[in-house]
Amino acid sequence: MTKAKFDELIHPSTRLSIVALLAAADWAEFAFLRDQLELSDSALSKQLSTLEDAGYVQIERPLRNHRRRVRARLTEVGAEAFEGHVAALRSIVSRTDRAGQPAH
Amino acid sequence: MEPQPTPEEALAALNAVERGRLTVIDEIGLPRWYWWGLALGWVALGFVTDLKHAWLTAAATFAFGAVHASVAARAASGRRRTQRLSVRAEVAGRRTARLIVGCVAALGGLTVGLALAASADGASHPVTIASAFVALTILLGRPQLIGAIRRRAAASTTR
Repeated sequence: MTKAKFDELIHPSTRLSIVALLAAADWAEFAFLRDQLELSDSALSKQLSTLEDAGYVQIERPLRNHRRRVRARLTEVGAEAFEGHVAALRSIVSRTDRAGQPAH
Repeated sequence: MEPQPTPEEALAALNAVERGRLTVIDEIGLPRWYWWGLALGWVALGFVTDLKHAWLTAAATFAFGAVHASVAARAASGRRRTQRLSVRAEVAGRRTARLIVGCVAALGGLTVGLALAASADGASHPVTIASAFVALTILLGRPQLIGAIRRRAAASTTR
């Protein structure tokens, strides 16, 4: 069972979207993330650097068709932080749902 | 105390997370070259069978099976439709490869049945005709099959 832990680093919408995409993938290319999230190269680089500095994301530069590609993958630490964050969000929503139920 | 989002913000964030998962699920599929290779290989195998040289048919069937087994091991998981990302095995569904190989086996049965029917009807190249029909089924049925796999992945809560 994942321990609910709100993560301020993941929560901003752009970073949350990046981590949500990476959580469902083994890895994703920089271009894929940029296109899906409609970000500029510099904006995506900045967000990935922040996640990489926190140890949440690993950046790789494999060679494919004689071209260097940039791809990102979620680290184990990042995956745990993401799962904890999602659990915290669910907890906030479910608390409200329970509070909103009429008393019997 | 860390600032917590409001329930509305938390719900919006959860929706964003789900959108991310669905975006990756949309990438589940097999490369286009796999389907075209399978369809063309099928027709070629049917044509060779109609030549009625037992050793040639056996060799072609063996070659087709070996190539397909080798390619399917990499491509049929549904995780690498493009080279832009690799879908996690848990998200793509661990039974996808078995489903694809099962469909190929079923198409083999369909080809035999159609070839027997065409032969009984007096067709001069019954296996080629049956193979061409099945190849068309492969190409036209591909979106339905992948759509069903994606829907199953989207409905799954195994994340």
